[in-house]
Amino acid sequence: MTIEEFRLPDVGEGVAEGELVSWLVAPGDRVEEDQPVAEVETDKALVEVPSSYDGVVEELFVEEGDIVPVGDVIISFRVGEEDGTPADAGADGAEPTDAGADDAEPTDAGADGAEPTDAGADDADPTDSAPAADGSDEPGSPSGRTFAPPSVRRLARELGVDLAAVDGSGPGGRIAERDVREHADSGSPADDGDGEDAAIGPKPVDIGSGDRTSAVSRRDSAAGTDATTASGSGASPERAGRDRTLATPATRKLASDLGVDLDDVPTDETREGEAFVAAEHVQAYAEASARPDAEAAPPAGEAEPGVETEPTPADPATDAPTSTATTASIDADADDGTADGSGATIPYRGVRRTIGKRMAQSKFTAPHVTHHDTAEVDALVSARERLKPRAAEEETKLTYLPFVMKAVLAGLREYPILNSELREEAEEILLKGEYHFGVAVATDSGLMVPVVEDVDEKGLFELAAEVSDLASRARDRSLAPAELRGSTFTLTNFGAVGGEYATPIINYPETAVLGLGAIEKRPVVRESEDGAEVVPASTLPLSLSIDHRVVDGAVAAEFANVVMDHLEEPLLLLNE
Amino acid sequence: MVVGDISTGTEVLVIGAGPGGYVAAIRAAQRGLDTTLVEKDAYGGACLNRGCIPSKALITASGLAHEAGTAEEMGIHADPAVDLARMIEWKEEVVDRLTGGVEKLCKANGVNLVEGTARFADDHTVRVAHGGDGQGSESIEFEHAIVATGSRPVEIPGFSFADEHVWNAADALDADAVPDRLVVVGGGYIGMELATVYAKLGAEVTVVEMLEDVLDPYEDDVKRVVRKRAEELGIAFSFGEGATGWSEGGDGGYLVHTETEAGEESTYPADRVLVAVGREPVTGGLDLENAGVETDDRGFIETDDRTRSAVEHVHAVGDVAGEPMLAHVASTEGIVAAETIAGEPAALDQRAIPAAVFTDPEIGTVGMTEADAEDAGFDVAVGEMPFRASGRALTTGHSDGFVRIVADADEGFVLGAQIVGPEASELIAEVGLAIELGATLEDVAATVHTHPTLSEAVMEAAENAQGQAIHTLNR
Repeated sequence: MTIEEFRLPDVGEGVAEGELVSWLVAPGDRVEEDQPVAEVETDKALVEVPSSYDGVVEELFVEEGDIVPVGDVIISFRVGEEDGTPADAGADGAEPTDAGADDAEPTDAGADGAEPTDAGADDADPTDSAPAADGSDEPGSPSGRTFAPPSVRRLARELGVDLAAVDGSGPGGRIAERDVREHADSGSPADDGDGEDAAIGPKPVDIGSGDRTSAVSRRDSAAGTDATTASGSGASPERAGRDRTLATPATRKLASDLGVDLDDVPTDETREGEAFVAAEHVQAYAEASARPDAEAAPPAGEAEPGVETEPTPADPATDAPTSTATTASIDADADDGTADGSGATIPYRGVRRTIGKRMAQSKFTAPHVTHHDTAEVDALVSARERLKPRAAEEETKLTYLPFVMKAVLAGLREYPILNSELREEAEEILLKGEYHFGVAVATDSGLMVPVVEDVDEKGLFELAAEVSDLASRARDRSLAPAELRGSTFTLTNFGAVGGEYATPIINYPETAVLGLGAIEKRPVVRESEDGAEVVPASTLPLSLSIDHRVVDGAVAAEFANVVMDHLEEPLLLLNE
Repeated sequence: MVVGDISTGTEVLVIGAGPGGYVAAIRAAQRGLDTTLVEKDAYGGACLNRGCIPSKALITASGLAHEAGTAEEMGIHADPAVDLARMIEWKEEVVDRLTGGVEKLCKANGVNLVEGTARFADDHTVRVAHGGDGQGSESIEFEHAIVATGSRPVEIPGFSFADEHVWNAADALDADAVPDRLVVVGGGYIGMELATVYAKLGAEVTVVEMLEDVLDPYEDDVKRVVRKRAEELGIAFSFGEGATGWSEGGDGGYLVHTETEAGEESTYPADRVLVAVGREPVTGGLDLENAGVETDDRGFIETDDRTRSAVEHVHAVGDVAGEPMLAHVASTEGIVAAETIAGEPAALDQRAIPAAVFTDPEIGTVGMTEADAEDAGFDVAVGEMPFRASGRALTTGHSDGFVRIVADADEGFVLGAQIVGPEASELIAEVGLAIELGATLEDVAATVHTHPTLSEAVMEAAENAQGQAIHTLNR
């Protein structure tokens, strides 16, 4: 039997760490491959982490509530070797930690010791298997000795299976698709890095995250970091400096996100004679590199290498100092006032911390100016009253938001500069030309901004249905990461809770955000032949924040006028 | 940003619409990626416009003319008159049909086509200059780029393609008349194919080759078949001589000067000189350094097995990514590039890349030669079938050459084949499939082949490798 360590896998989307919310297993539990063992909350979502092994839980290395960097060992399993040799079994049984752990589950413990066949499918442990994998051309055997058709080779790549380690069932050992699948299902750690990834499920396919920061310049900045660390700290890792490195696309993406040159990442693993780097190597290297100089790390929100200084069980003390600066700075935007009691602390993690970072980045990068005005919306109120039953017939609840979205669309068409993104490095402002609106949604775990795409191509009811669907799924945390990305302009309807004006923070790197106050009857002054009089009218207070680097206040006011015009005379929305 | 500059964005930018680029663009578009294809010249690249296709058209046409005029043995007496202008026009019609097809396919698959010359501005932007002065330019931002700019014929000192009597392969495919005397510098596959075309059209052809034989990478017995036939066609060979320059010949023609390594000089009278000494990648003018991509000392972009350059989101496919410079390799790489960008587990893991030379007779090869297999450590089994033992070959009047199949002696897995003979370029496909599927000699031999066909020779060679051929003596 061997002890297999299991690391927090890449849970996708370049997420660098996650909070281990809860353990679903305890030491001594028998687990099957793919059985969920823990729940991990990342910046974006709550995910279950499945086991890559059949075996018995040996030890849990992190506590519930800890923040765990991707690639850290979180749990170990005891798995059997081929028909468990007696010597092994004896050694295993003699391990004191084992016995202790097993005490909790006496039945399992007994079964486990007596059941060497169980995990028999597993090969040797990863340290053994790496050489075995590429050394399968035993001495004297010609290279290219593995015979498998192209479709099978592709499947092997997909499942992360090294064909040289597969026993072919065809004539002369020819490998069939079935052989590869069986090999993959056996969870053989011969394919360690890849195999683990494969077991976790579909790898994130990154077609470009929208992050235009150049890979080259990032690489340069990473090199800069290395230089600093090399002189500043003996703890910095050595750069391997290879010419060529193999890695899966997900790993390459991670390396690129972390600003790590794959050729510099130390590894013992090889594939087909070339150095092979897995995600955990990259993660470990990035952390080690960034530790002395967290400032130089890539932009927040993407990944935060090196914030956690201790890779193993997170120490709250190390977390606190790094977080305080940002915590303080974002208090102004706190929309999640659950704090009570004195001296109590609330963890600054997961969604909360992501919100914090984004807000700080926006507020400290873009000089905000907020323009306030009020639209008189009696006509809008009656238009919506008339349409509401029609929407209800389609089982859609018609709020004011779709009307406002269309009015904003009209404004953006006239003033496209508010639908833009400043690219400082490139010294240009990109006019998006597409109308994807972020809609801020308050949820129990914090602010989420799902995105309604192509607002210009959708009708009012369609928008209403989509907003309502996105909002409800934001509340139960079931949005896909892609649904939280790609907005070009954002709306925040704080008025749903109450209030007139606010100073919304721009959803960076967008250029503008529009906040909506509550629609209420308020006194307005109407001019008539008899002079001016104060009358009650339905009004909608608007708060438009802009990035003053990109656009000036006058343009913001003109844009707001167009939006108001369309809200005050909703028939104009027929144009949109 | 330049005033008046238009900037657009695309997920995948492909530079060059040859067999690497257009295939990559179509596959990327099929995968739902927003794809833009930039071409400065003609859809289809060198392959369709100046290479594979036009040369095959002329090879077929000249072969037909020659056959018709030399079939007295079969009782046919003819003296075909060749209208070269019409032959070239017909070739153009074929080319136009194919290039038009490429353009239509790209459009139908949703590829954005941009005409112009692309240069990298940085690692996520190209500037595309539209043809002609003052036609303006635009910037295109990309998330992934695929460089597929291909290759061009190499010039050698002393011979400038700007001179009317100095041809490159493209010129030879666009000639307005058959020269009386043609000197071909370079006995590689392009030189040999075109030497054959012009010999069959009636030119007096001399091939000057620096090495000691034609068709350098092929095995001696393969070369011998082609060279013997070329000599029968009246082609003269001068080996071990490098061309150094030319001078006026006095008779209205020219003299091609050559020199051996030992310094012995010779001259060859010529009306046209075809220089076919190789091709070089087209990377100059791309400003690759702005994207952080480097080229090796020959100008090739180095790529990994997923076609990625050192800058991971910049791929390179086809001739620009190095040897072998073959259209079908370019297309294969293009597909891998597009699928890699789409996040699929594609890779260049082909065991066997076939290659064909359209000489008379043709050469088709795939996988390992006997020597390759021995070097790789295999215990090798080899089987041959000469075409003179093939009924079908004899009935075509072309029975030069043979099929040779190379296999692993232990398990019988097919490792490679060399075919020289009629339709070798077609016959080789069967062996390629056998290699990729891991078929054994027994699998190939036990597959029933149609009689009477040339393909039976492949089956017979597989039997011969097992020492049990019916129609040849087993060695």
